[in-house]
Amino acid sequence: MKNNIKDERIIKELTQVQLAEIVKVSRQTIISIETNRYIPSVLLSLKLAKALEKKVEQLFELENFD
Amino acid sequence: MKFLLPHRYKKVGTIIAPLGFFLWLCMQLGIINLLLSFQFGKIEYKQGVSNYHLVNVIIAILSFFSFLIGIYFVSFSKEKLEDEMVERTRIESFQFAALVQLISIIFSFLSMLIFDEPDKESIMLFFIGIVFLFWLCFIGRFNYILHIKLKNEK
Repeated sequence: MKNNIKDERIIKELTQVQLAEIVKVSRQTIISIETNRYIPSVLLSLKLAKALEKKVEQLFELENFD
Repeated sequence: MKFLLPHRYKKVGTIIAPLGFFLWLCMQLGIINLLLSFQFGKIEYKQGVSNYHLVNVIIAILSFFSFLIGIYFVSFSKEKLEDEMVERTRIESFQFAALVQLISIIFSFLSMLIFDEPDKESIMLFFIGIVFLFWLCFIGRFNYILHIKLKNEK
């Protein structure tokens, strides 16, 4: 599964720390999600979508091998 | 995990675990005996037991348990910000440590079959080592991922 959290965060002019503070996770978690090393839970995905003012399906996308 | 300790215990653990290990190492290398003999006179043996035997036993127990408790504090205390990724990293680190321990046990038993049968003391040391290997692997991987690898990425 790929995501465009990083692009959306940059569009919203948010730093990793600021986004982490909004969704109440560590900066390391945001880094892991942005680098596709960690797939967030539904709850965190919804929080990210809310923070970035996007729908979840706009942030996350299934890949062929998923 | 419900049974994790508050974050402040991690700091306590990072102090007492190396301190315990250092004290144990000093005792094993005879530095404690050397210091005691400087302070209270030279070591004398009666029936194979030194006059500082009791002090050494107390230091051994204290250092071993402070190391053990320190490792427990470091392993089972929460991070400053405990979230789902931290929890997953913790579980993965447990799995990694268990795998390393299993491989070590298999190789050790194979080496025992191939080479000479070890004595009782070596087996005891092996079991202590294998337990610590698990915890050191867990602490090492968990902290490396969270505090070195991810912190330095952008």
